[in-house]
Amino acid sequence: MIEKLLFQTLIGLSFSMYLWLLAAGLTLVFGVLGVLNFAHGSLFMLGAYATFTFYGKLGLNFWLSIFLSLLCVGGIGVILECLFFRRIYHIDLPYQLILTFGFILIFDDLVKMVWGGVAMIPPMPRFFEGNFNILGRPFPYYNVFIICAGIAVALLLWMILEKTWWGRMIRASASDREMASAIGINIPILFTNVFVFAAMLAALGGALGTPVRVVAPGIGTAMIIQAFVITVIGGLGNLKGAFVGAIIVGILTSYGILLFPIFELFIIFVVMAIVLMVKPQGLFGK
Amino acid sequence: MAKKMTRRKFLKDTVVGGIALGTSLGSYRITYGQAKKPPGPIKIGGQGAISGAHADYGWQMMAGATLAIEEINAKGGILKRKLELKFMDEELKPATAVKNARYLVTDWGADFLFGIDSSGSAMAVGPVLPELDRLCFFCHAATHRLTEELVAGKGIKQIFRMVAPVYQDALAAWVFKDAPEIKRWAGINCDYEYGYVAWNLFKENIRKFRPDVEFVAAAWAPFWTMDFSSHIAAVMAEKPDAIFATPWAGEGVMLLRQALMLGVFDKIQIWWQCMGGSVDLLEGISREVAADKFKGKLWATARYIHNYPATPENKTFVEAFRKRWGKFPNYSAEASYSTIYAIKIGAEKAKSLETSKVAEALEGMELKTPAGPRLIRKEDHQAIYTVPGGKVVHSPDYPIPILGDLKIVPAKEYFRHPPFTPVAATK
Amino acid sequence: MKRIKFFLLLALVIFLFSLPAFSGKYILYITIHILILSVFALGFNLLLGYTGLLSFGQAGFFAMGAYACAKILLIFPSLLVGTMTGMIAGALSAFILGFLCVRHTRIYFSMLTLSFGMMIYSLAWKWREVTGGDDGLVGIPRAPFEIPGVFSINMNPMGNYYYYVLVISLVAIYLLYRLIHSPFGLTLKGIRESESRVAYAGISVRHYRLLSFTIAGLYAGLAGSFLPPLENTVTPPIAHWTHSAEPVMVTLLGGIHTFSGPIVGSVVFYIIKDIIVRYTQYWLIWFGAIIVFLVLVFRGGIVIFLIERIWTLMNRR
Repeated sequence: MIEKLLFQTLIGLSFSMYLWLLAAGLTLVFGVLGVLNFAHGSLFMLGAYATFTFYGKLGLNFWLSIFLSLLCVGGIGVILECLFFRRIYHIDLPYQLILTFGFILIFDDLVKMVWGGVAMIPPMPRFFEGNFNILGRPFPYYNVFIICAGIAVALLLWMILEKTWWGRMIRASASDREMASAIGINIPILFTNVFVFAAMLAALGGALGTPVRVVAPGIGTAMIIQAFVITVIGGLGNLKGAFVGAIIVGILTSYGILLFPIFELFIIFVVMAIVLMVKPQGLFGK
Repeated sequence: MAKKMTRRKFLKDTVVGGIALGTSLGSYRITYGQAKKPPGPIKIGGQGAISGAHADYGWQMMAGATLAIEEINAKGGILKRKLELKFMDEELKPATAVKNARYLVTDWGADFLFGIDSSGSAMAVGPVLPELDRLCFFCHAATHRLTEELVAGKGIKQIFRMVAPVYQDALAAWVFKDAPEIKRWAGINCDYEYGYVAWNLFKENIRKFRPDVEFVAAAWAPFWTMDFSSHIAAVMAEKPDAIFATPWAGEGVMLLRQALMLGVFDKIQIWWQCMGGSVDLLEGISREVAADKFKGKLWATARYIHNYPATPENKTFVEAFRKRWGKFPNYSAEASYSTIYAIKIGAEKAKSLETSKVAEALEGMELKTPAGPRLIRKEDHQAIYTVPGGKVVHSPDYPIPILGDLKIVPAKEYFRHPPFTPVAATK
Repeated sequence: MKRIKFFLLLALVIFLFSLPAFSGKYILYITIHILILSVFALGFNLLLGYTGLLSFGQAGFFAMGAYACAKILLIFPSLLVGTMTGMIAGALSAFILGFLCVRHTRIYFSMLTLSFGMMIYSLAWKWREVTGGDDGLVGIPRAPFEIPGVFSINMNPMGNYYYYVLVISLVAIYLLYRLIHSPFGLTLKGIRESESRVAYAGISVRHYRLLSFTIAGLYAGLAGSFLPPLENTVTPPIAHWTHSAEPVMVTLLGGIHTFSGPIVGSVVFYIIKDIIVRYTQYWLIWFGAIIVFLVLVFRGGIVIFLIERIWTLMNRR
């Protein structure tokens, strides 16, 4: 039984990493820009489609494809932020949410028009084929890679925010926008940077998922609710919280499938509701 | 900034709203109003899933019907009238399916309806058909309840199902009943009615042949599951000999890919992928099949496969389809193709398009279709025809994998018969 | 001037009542859907436009109303009972969940309502024995509208059911209108504008919010109860958060700060969707583009913008 749980934990952990990549960008944008972007899942989806096209259709190198996808989605992020999101920072919450919802619809159809509505999946990169033997059961190399990638991103983000000058600017703007502006930080450019960075994180999540998951319209939106739950549990704007939250949600979902198949959908919402009622700022929020 | 709400404003708004409503509905009236019906084309309205992970099925339905309509129109049409097709997206949502059905009949003037991918949509549209007074030929929705409850039970004679229902998924019981080394079965199933019923029907039937069989684990994956690793891991923990899997289309491809990654095919003896013989799934795994990753352990069936039966009728259909569309026909394409021909035969036999007359003409008829002889059973309007199960293999004659090593069991044996007892639709 | 407006309103009502005489079934069917969405969105806007709370879980209460009505109609086919049960189910569930939600505001309120809405969705999906699971409840009769011993009207003809929905909707709309212009409504607006000031005046903000939330739930339940007799089936997607987004969208379309905004928005939404769908299967992208455009350009709702223009033109003397 213990072995089953441990193995299930590992599986859940790899699932968590996709959620982490999605939630990281979401919480970053909320913390710094103050916008809750429903369409964040669409950026995840675009990252997946881009990687599928470069790697699956054009046959480019896997790592190159991921890199190019990040650039493409980053570009889309620039357009989104400069042309649209910039104008909604000061307006009421309902309008913000509805605008981002509108983008979900646009991207879903756009993707259908360009790639067709049929689900697609590229081949697995050759060097990832195979398994480790963990607890007597096969655990794919690719899953290990995903876990390492997720942890690497977490460390990278921590380093950027704590140790670099850019990170310090971000933290300053997040806690007090006016003050930050007063001391000379160029807020608009910083905001664009952060948005694009968050978009690339989401795209990375989508890109890394392509060899194992189907690329279809709506794949990002299907996960966005879980990403919301994670950001709430961890604390809106809190990256550490998002990381921990993603792990909790991923592992709980995985346990749910093993132990309580009836309630797995329900569980994460109950957890979110409890957190909201008991500590609305989230586990790590202030 | 709050606007002062006065009665004036309320009236002002209602006026504009009323004008908007009036002009638009009025324009509806002018364009789509109650026109008298001169003998124009015969209108056939269809719907299916055109988007999402299951989008190929709706497209295939439309493609099969279009091919049939083009062929029939080239030969003069039905009762000297040409056929016209309109195909809509059901979005796999019952509410949308019902709305489309109403629109197609009352607004567009459809004489016949066909299609429908989702069982939920089928169960919602079925009861509305008497009100609309139109026949609907279901080309995918697999739930047994459509025919067993609504036709045989409630007498909704407007329902016809041209495609093999969930009885087909349980074929595994017949295929593997004589394999003594396969004792421990586990299921990875869709977490909705289709999954429950397929699994329950399979269990019920294999127990009849093999009382020694055990069901060691079952995992349930809801719609939109993208990561089956947890489900596969949960099930493999119980060390099964064989796995019964229902996720279909894009989800089926993912499930098999992830199972390969988790080394499942080294441990089990058989994997039965219910709708694994479907064209989109075979395309999705063709690289892996060519590399023999499944080690000859992957078995499947479908609701029609293009390489069975080896009749000239079937060959002609497949060639015509490939020429027209550049793809192999899926079972939903064959079903919709046969549907259009069924409508032709029924209308010509009844010498009319009237719903009750065509229905009566079709009851008990055995049609010659690409999938072989299709008997339309009187009691439940279910088409009975044989589809084999087989091993997924790479074949030099085809660009995508096919089902080979076919195990052919006559439909009469594995289709359920009236009087119908309820099947457990729970886990 | 007032006379003209009164007569125009009267004309609208007369138009709605005479619709079955010259329209086909499909138009009546669509109009019923528009009425359902209007009632749903009006309740929602009580929360948003007047109390300042954005709820992303209203679909949960809509679903409670729909499922409750369906279950009742399956055992006791009397339309009035079904509708009332739906209303009560919506109001009751809103009251209970409201207790937990109204202590929070703004983004936390929205997220809480989102999670409760999705919990109701998962219940509807999983609890097969009660809700029918993903199949939902089918074969729901369009029960007769009856008061036993007094009269019974067959509701199967679309026209009859249309009148039933129309009359009840108009009454509901009128009642809400009166409510908004009562002291209760003014207090709500006060809470939206400045919570602390209202609290200082001795009014319990939380109680008013809860009441507002309950009424919104009641309207959602009422709207939901119209659905089962119309479609003869109820399935889980009506509880999903994407359905909660509909009243938000149409209210924004029509205008948050006007009473009839949600109604006008519902009309425009259905017409746009119906028209676009005839020409292309890619209607979502048009819809998304319209939403984005509206938010960026016409934030008061397109109708209000047009009205102001037309009104200023007309009022030039």
